This record gives sequence, C-alpha cells and structure tokens, in this order.
Amino acid sequence: MARRKKSSTQPSARSFDPGERVVAVTGAYSFVGGELIKRLEEDRRYYKVLAIDIRKPAFPLTKTQFHKVDLTLPTADAELSGILKREGVETFVHAAFLSAPTHNATWAHEFESIGTVHVLNACGEAKIRKFILWSSTVVYGAAPLNPNFLTEDAELRGHPRSRFINDKAEAERETARFAKENRDTTVTVLRTAPILGPRIRNYVTRFFARPACPTLMGYDPLMQFVHEDDAVDAFKLASDEDFAGAFNIVGDGVLPYSTILAMMGKVPLPVPHFVAYPLAQALWATQVFDSPPNFLDFLRYLCVADGSRAREVMGFRPHHDIKSAILDFLGVAAERHDLASEEGRA
Amino acid sequence: MSDHRVLGDNPFEPAPPAEPAAPAPPAAEQPPEPSKKVRSKPRAQPAAKARRPVPDIETEPLGAEAAPHPAADHPPPPEYGRTLDHEVRQEAARRGLVDEFRLVERWVRERIQPEPPAGERRRLPLEFLWRRWRDIAMRDRSDFVDEFGRDPMYAARVEPLIRFIYEKYFRVELEGCEHIPHVGRGLIVANHSGTVPYDGAMIMYAVRKEHGSHREVRPLVEDFVFHFPYLGTFINRIGGVRACQENAERLLLQDQLVAVFPEGIKGIGKLYRERYQLQRFGRGGFIKLALRTDSPIIPAAVVGAEEIHPMLTKVSWLAKSVGIPYIPITPTFPWLGPLGLVPMPTKWYLRFGEPLPFNTEYGARGAEDRILVNRLSEQVRSRIQEMVDERLSRRRSVLFG
Repeated sequence: MARRKKSSTQPSARSFDPGERVVAVTGAYSFVGGELIKRLEEDRRYYKVLAIDIRKPAFPLTKTQFHKVDLTLPTADAELSGILKREGVETFVHAAFLSAPTHNATWAHEFESIGTVHVLNACGEAKIRKFILWSSTVVYGAAPLNPNFLTEDAELRGHPRSRFINDKAEAERETARFAKENRDTTVTVLRTAPILGPRIRNYVTRFFARPACPTLMGYDPLMQFVHEDDAVDAFKLASDEDFAGAFNIVGDGVLPYSTILAMMGKVPLPVPHFVAYPLAQALWATQVFDSPPNFLDFLRYLCVADGSRAREVMGFRPHHDIKSAILDFLGVAAERHDLASEEGRA
Repeated sequence: MSDHRVLGDNPFEPAPPAEPAAPAPPAAEQPPEPSKKVRSKPRAQPAAKARRPVPDIETEPLGAEAAPHPAADHPPPPEYGRTLDHEVRQEAARRGLVDEFRLVERWVRERIQPEPPAGERRRLPLEFLWRRWRDIAMRDRSDFVDEFGRDPMYAARVEPLIRFIYEKYFRVELEGCEHIPHVGRGLIVANHSGTVPYDGAMIMYAVRKEHGSHREVRPLVEDFVFHFPYLGTFINRIGGVRACQENAERLLLQDQLVAVFPEGIKGIGKLYRERYQLQRFGRGGFIKLALRTDSPIIPAAVVGAEEIHPMLTKVSWLAKSVGIPYIPITPTFPWLGPLGLVPMPTKWYLRFGEPLPFNTEYGARGAEDRILVNRLSEQVRSRIQEMVDERLSRRRSVLFG
C-alpha cells in the first residue's frame, strides 16, 4: 500500500505494472459503469476497483470498494481527491452521466457539467495516470450541414437549447482543457453512438418501447446505434491499454429511421415538422413526453459518426452491427411481451 | 481481440429466476437502472461462440441448425436475435439478399404483434385500423441502403421516370463515354445550370445505362436541398450525397465515381442571358480533393440544360425566409404555379472529355499549394468551357439540336 502511495505522486515515471492497477469508476450504479466494473472484477490484471456513486451497485462486489460521493455537492472534488490519493488510483473512468434527459435541468447541469469539473479537479490534484470520459455522439448535434460521417475532429456543435446535449459538450470542453494542462495524464474520450440493447435503459430504448413513434413528414435520416456490450467493451479496451484522444464508438452500418421503425414493427405517426416542434414543446412542458423538443432534430437531420479511428487506433471491433443490435433489443422485447400476455391470461 | 470479450462476460449475472416477477409491458416506462430479470434465459453457448460475427452465408452449411420458425407453436429458441438472424440468412441465401429485411419485419409482426384471429377482428376495430394505418404509413420505407443512404430498390422504382426524361424528354446525346474508367475512382467535373438541377440525374443515368461497366455515379448535391422535406430524402435515396469534402473523400477512397458541379449555386442561379458562361469554380476544393485522393478529373460538358428554365431575374429577399437561395422568375414561373416548373423540352448533349491526370503530375502535396490549385481549377474550367462552346457552335436549334 505504501509503495503504491509513493508511486502515485509521480505517475508518469512509474513503470507500468499491470498487476497493481487500481481503477475508479463513477456512475457505478448506472449501466455503463456497472457493466464495466463487472468486467474489471473478472480481469486479474486489475488489483482493485473503486465504485463511486450515490447508490451501491446491486451486484456482488469482491475486489470493488464502494465510495459514496455525490458529485453535485461543492465538496465533491476534495472528497474525491482524498479517496484517489489514499487508494493510489491510476485510472479514472468518468461515466456518471444521465442516460436520458430530465426536466430538472438545474440539477442535471450541476451533476453533468459541474460534476465533471469536480472530477477533473480531483484527478488533477491526485495526478492520476489515465482519465477516460464517457461522451456521446449527440454532442456533434444533428444538422443538415453535417457530413454523412462525422469524424472526431468535427466541431462539437451541441444544440443551442438542449441541456442534455450541452452539458455533455461542456464536460468534453472541460476535459480538453484538463488534457492540455496535464500533459502526463492520458486522456481518452469515448463518444458512443446512441446505445441500444436488451438490458440498458436510456432515452433510445424508452423511445422505441412505445408502440408508435413520431416521424417528421418528408424526413428520413440515417441512424446509427452501438450495442450495449460493444460500448462496454470499448471502455474495457480503453482501460486495458492507453489511447489518447477522442474516439467515436459506433456499431457497423446505418439504417434510415423508417426502416428501423419497420423492423421494430412500430406504427409511424407522421407529423409536419412545423407542427411537431410546438407540439413536442407543449408535451414536454406538461411532462407527457420524455424527450425535449430539440430531440426532434435527430429525427430530421443526420448525426452519424465515423468509427474508423477507434477501429484503427484502439483495435475496437463491434460484435454487433446495427441490424443485430436491433434484433437483440427486439428479442427481449418479444420475450417481455410474451411474459406480459401470459400474466394477462393468468 | 476476442479474449477481452470472453473475460468481459459477466459472471455476476444472477441465475435465471424460476418465476420471473411481473414484467412491465413493453410500452410502459421502466426505471433507468439495468434490470436483470429481462434476460431470464442464460446464454446457452460459450460466449466466444455465441457472439462471433455473423457467419457468411456461403460458408455456413444450410440447415445445419434448423431452427423452428419462432411464430410456430414450438417453444421459443434460446436466443431470439441469433437464431432469427441465422434463419433469416438461410432464407435470404435462397431468395436473394434484399428480402432479408422483409423477413425480419414479418417475424417481428408475427412475434410481437400477432394478427388477431379472423373472428376477433370485428371486436377490435381500433386494433385493425391501427394495423391498416401502419401498413399504409410504412409504404414509404426503404428496405436496404448503403452507407450514404442510396436505396437501390427505390432507385429502380424511379428509374422509368428518369429514363423517360433522358430518352424522350431531353433526348440526351452522349459522347465520350469511353473516357470514364471501368474500375477505380474518378471525379467527374461538369457545368451546372438549369435552376432545377436535372443534370446530376442525367449524368448518373447516362453512365449507368450507356457505360460498358454500368457504373454508379454519386453526384454531390448542394446543401440547401437537405433543408427540405421529401426533396432531400428523395435525392438521398436515388444516390445523391451532400456536397462536402468529407463525403467526397470517403466516396473516392472507396473507388467510386463522383460527379461534382463546382459552380454550385452560382451555376444553377445563372440568368438566361448568362447561359453557357461558366462561373467561378468555387475555391478549387475539387482540385484539392482530386489531388489528395489521387483521382483523375474527367471534365464533362452539358449542353441544353441551361435553357430548360430561362430565368429572367431572381428574387432573393423573400427566398431567405423559405430557406432557398433565390426564387426564380421565368416566363412561366411563378405565373402558372406548379405548372411553371415543367422544364422546356430542349435537346441535350452530354460529353465526357479526356481525363486530366493532375493527380499523377502533381501528387498529394500539390493540394497544399494554393496558387497551383487555383491554376488547375482555372484549367479545368476553361477546358469545360471549350467543350461547351465547341458543341454550341455545331448546334442549330435549342429544341431540336
């Protein structure tokens, strides 16, 4: 323990010993953080995992220590840096982000944007060796002027009125600033495409759980997903080896929105776009709808990222293309439907 | 690569509950935490085998894992996605690949939303209407697209219309088709005109029909088209791609043929008295593109297109609010309403010139040299202007050639 403590003060000079890696993961109760912890627990190259969240993960922990830290508190950075220094953490995975937009925008801002600042301050103070940030390809924003495949160098346009997207973009900007100031730290940003899969719960699976989905008349953008297992794989890969920079984590293949709806057996509800925005605003304000109106842009314009950099540099190979991700999601939907109808019959 | 997948397979997954607790119907909102009970069937195969990439149709012995149809009365197969995929692929190998999507769609309908029995149909009027509506609304979907959104089935459906325009309406006469390479990348550079850009579609059709290798040309289309409902989707599905460096580079690196119109909006917005005077070729982006991707430039001249909508003047102050660059004023538009958008049946000549091998002469480093790029861009422009002028001098009539 003492040896590790000493070495943590000069992380760049330390020789790389895989046997004593200590990883801290925020958002341990959420899907990405939790799944990553399960994989790290399995891997004997990792010595210890710190699970940081406000709720303890529901699965059994063997080499994982749970630390309760609320990132929205102003003292979070001091608390975190104390933990990081004490445990000699060398890799920090920041995956504490909202998986779906919330009406409580003030809290979301405190949590995602300011929370990331706290985390980065703590990491800078503890001089960790590697920092991994979970971001999303929605930070590029959906726009008619997007190229068909956005590379990592594209501008993070975000969305002028979306807290959910802008907070993530802000977290990215803070991380970029952190990377500039801390040259010794390897900073990896993983921008995942919308994650789809049988177990994850986020705004995508919630959207596609409905029997009917709105479409904007005359618009049929190409869409892209990444399977939940592939997304977690990318995090594991990034914590196993060092890759500096931003990477788009996307599944293979794109499909038009109409095809996705047809594959899923949804009923499309075509709405003219000039009606859809005010309507969605009203439904969002009255809390009938769970996506803010600016998410309609993603049903209207392209937001597809190019995953070739992750493929070439990280060696990331998604095991699911878009079709098998949808089928995997549907398989469980079918199973759930069967159980529900059996319940109904009994 | 595969070992992290095996290591990563989750050992903490709880054993499948004997009796799963009441699951919510799929439409209900679930709490955001990952629920474990939904995957009540554990993976039967070892993880490495179960998650291996989708097998090739040719190498997979057909009928090796003859799974019962999920919709039949058999117990459900252990993994829907995997089994279904396999079955679909078997079926697709028999019936041709495009049908795969239809199979998935049918499977989903039978599995998740089974058709009510015929006797019950009267008792479920809304359910019935709901299904009818879905069938009607889904008619516009596309089955299979490439990564830029081209839908070959849709393109085949609208091809008769384009053929009519090409053969009967504009009576396009094609020369120099042999200059288009049979394999490998190439950048077709053409003059742009005609208010409504038919020239891209005509070049696409000409090469597809009359070239020996029937190659697909991907025309790069102006941005403003993609602001519009229907129009952007239509152009995307028949093969148009939004004009930007990234898209063009990606297409050329895939060894495709790309058609660019460097005049851009200035080209299609030419007034009638400016016809066949080629405008400035942007900032030479197409030269940089050709040099960087090592593609030969094939100049193309379109004669006849500049008279289809004789534009007398244009109104731009009103157009800005609609999102288009200008509103054309022609002898027929907007006076005759939508009828004014019918183009004049002029006689068209389409000519491809000899490829200009700038890429072998200057190499990728030439793209950094602004003066060189500008000079080459001007060379291409004057070459196309020459071709246009030469053809114009031989033309006797606008309508009959």
